[in-house]
Amino acid sequence: MNAAALPGLLPRFARDGVALAALASLGFLIAAALLAPWIAPQNPYDLAQLDLLDGRLAPGAAGADGRIYLLGSDDQGRDIVSAILYGMRTSLLAGSVSTLAALALGLLLGLGAAWFRGWFDAIVMRAADLQLSFPSILIALVLLALLGQGLDKIIIALIAVQWAYYARTARAAALAEREKDYISAATALGLKPARVILRHLLPNCLPPMMVVATVQIAAAISLEATLSFLGLGLPITEPSLGLLIANGYAYLLSGKYWISFFPGLALLALIVCINLVADRLRDLLDPRRAGGAG
Amino acid sequence: MIPLKIRWFACAAALAANTVLAADLRIGMAADITSMDPHAVNITPNNNIGWHVFDALVHVDADARIAPGLAQSWRAVDDTTWEFRLRRNLRFHDGSPVTAEDVLFSLERAEKLPNGQYASFVQRLTEKRALDPYTLRFKTATPYAMVPYDLNSIFIVSKKAASNASPEDFNSGKAMIGTGPFRFTRFARGDRVELAKNPAYWGGAPVWDRVTFRIIPNDPARIAALLAGDVDAIEAIPTPDLARIRGDKRFRLAQKVSWRTIFFHADQYRDASPFVSDRAGKPLPKNPLRDVNVRLAISKSINRQAIVERVMEKAAIPASNLVSPPVFGHVASIKPEAYDPEGAKQLLARAGYPDGFALTLHAPNNRYVNDDQIAQAVAQMLSRVGIATRVETMPINVYLPKARNGDFSFAMLGWGSFSGDLALRALLAAPDAGKGYGAWNWSRYANAALDKMLDQGFATVDEKKREAMAREAAAVALKDQAVVPLHHQIAIWAMKANINYVARTDEYTFAHHMK
Repeated sequence: MNAAALPGLLPRFARDGVALAALASLGFLIAAALLAPWIAPQNPYDLAQLDLLDGRLAPGAAGADGRIYLLGSDDQGRDIVSAILYGMRTSLLAGSVSTLAALALGLLLGLGAAWFRGWFDAIVMRAADLQLSFPSILIALVLLALLGQGLDKIIIALIAVQWAYYARTARAAALAEREKDYISAATALGLKPARVILRHLLPNCLPPMMVVATVQIAAAISLEATLSFLGLGLPITEPSLGLLIANGYAYLLSGKYWISFFPGLALLALIVCINLVADRLRDLLDPRRAGGAG
Repeated sequence: MIPLKIRWFACAAALAANTVLAADLRIGMAADITSMDPHAVNITPNNNIGWHVFDALVHVDADARIAPGLAQSWRAVDDTTWEFRLRRNLRFHDGSPVTAEDVLFSLERAEKLPNGQYASFVQRLTEKRALDPYTLRFKTATPYAMVPYDLNSIFIVSKKAASNASPEDFNSGKAMIGTGPFRFTRFARGDRVELAKNPAYWGGAPVWDRVTFRIIPNDPARIAALLAGDVDAIEAIPTPDLARIRGDKRFRLAQKVSWRTIFFHADQYRDASPFVSDRAGKPLPKNPLRDVNVRLAISKSINRQAIVERVMEKAAIPASNLVSPPVFGHVASIKPEAYDPEGAKQLLARAGYPDGFALTLHAPNNRYVNDDQIAQAVAQMLSRVGIATRVETMPINVYLPKARNGDFSFAMLGWGSFSGDLALRALLAAPDAGKGYGAWNWSRYANAALDKMLDQGFATVDEKKREAMAREAAAVALKDQAVVPLHHQIAIWAMKANINYVARTDEYTFAHHMK
């Protein structure tokens, strides 16, 4: 039973050194992002703390007040270290909140579709087909053009492009599970559908969903970065990683690489770590894989 | 090995062709050219092509001062009558002579063309007639000194070629018969315009046999095209690349203070302005921007030199006026407000805002050079004296309708004008559609004394007197801190080192001035 795979997951996860290192790095990055207001040398979103005269300083250079800019500063005098820490906060927040919300939405719709079949199934799955037939960047662009700027709007757009993956996965898993004896037993006991779905079907469909979710967080973060890079979504005074990269882009040819490079590196590290962790999780949770619980 | 030989010959032929066609010029342009019709869409890229194929009665020189064009002279016969004398022996590209009939036809076409954007430059002429084939008389209903300026905007087309011509006939080239230094060859929408030399040009034949304007709006692509040798010259160099081009011996820069001034309109007509509040976000009893001391404090808190050096990479000069130093009506005695954050704080305290207030600054993000970076830089400077400033930027096509609608409290605008009094008329005169006053007065600054001075100035035909009056009017508005001026852009062209360009205040890119 897949559900049995959940307890004792961590010790088995740790058997893969690379994945464990990735998990540790990810933990470090998340902690750094969460603690940004306390550990960042500057609040990059507070304009009064920026000084234009400290703009475009090279990594390691000192500003007018003698403070060292470890990774340099951007065109407005934003400390790149601080901007990366705050930017990661935004990226992680947008990625995780939208993934959790899309997961919940997709799970409900997918389970419902599998349980009730009929017209509900048809509508939900055709809607998912429709959504998946467009490139997600296109849908997000259109939505943001309609909704306007703001983190909340970005999250809404990210949910809209993600829910279909979860709905499909949940439906597939639930279709396999609902034919099993324990579901028949639960139904035979006369339990209400809601109870059967939530207490019996749902927990047993979770492992594949967790795999999809970890992969999707990385996808959501890179999509958020793409949208910011294109200038949609967040205000320019509150740059996330994508916007930082976009701001530095104009300076790449003139040799001021650090404005784009370090935020790009941070984004890369974040996504690679999440993907490595997701890979290992899939190995452990997918019954068809050797490392799984089978 | 015949194929190889043929290839070798082809190479040799191509090389030979290159030497023969050495007088070809390819220019990379930053903005899209939308129409060839010189009386249709009044935007700089279209007019830029217009100035190559056509002429106007009145030209402007590199300093944006008016100069003789097809008309060799003009005079005000009395306060409401103007007489323009055409040059003799002018010929269109098809060889036919230019007469007063062609001028009258062109004025008529500019006024009547459906959706044409040049009608306002003709509408004040209540009577237009030809005294003889080389003399024209115009009458205005009231004394109006700006007739020669207005006629600078009307291109003269051939009556024979352009009768009943639609904009499409100009795009195809059928009606593109002018008197300008180049003949029209081809217009490929969104891609290029090709021109050929007019050896008989009255102002002297240009040195280039063929000129191609390529439309390359993407900044890195335009720079790359110059570096790769795909074009010989480009306009509008992105500021991050300036240092690189300056240090490259293969290229030369031409630059001049542009007539474009970047400034802020501050809401001065509402007691409750939509984007002003106290620092906690609660409404204020009155609108601080209506207080001249607050506007002066804002001006003092801005470090213009830092913006010029750090954001604009010196491609701008700090501004005190609405028009830049070369332009008619600039008041040289008014200097840019010095950076004085302490003075700004004191002024704010004296005005009743010791803790400052909160403000949202609006700006476009794709119109003026580095507009969104400038907005952020100003916001950080205001924040430092206690005016907690947020920044909202948007594309220009979203921005302008909102700004006109009065949706903003503190908004960036860039303006280019022939003269200080024309700038005042558009930007700071009390809005009056009938008089054509205050069309861009987003702040609704209203000063009856200023309006009266403008009325008098525009009725003064003597240019010297008019300039003195324009300066006086500008001083009144600037003393009131009616706007917060930021800087005048410096227009910059880059070209191969063997080409010279006489840079222009009006930002036009003229192939016939490249040598």
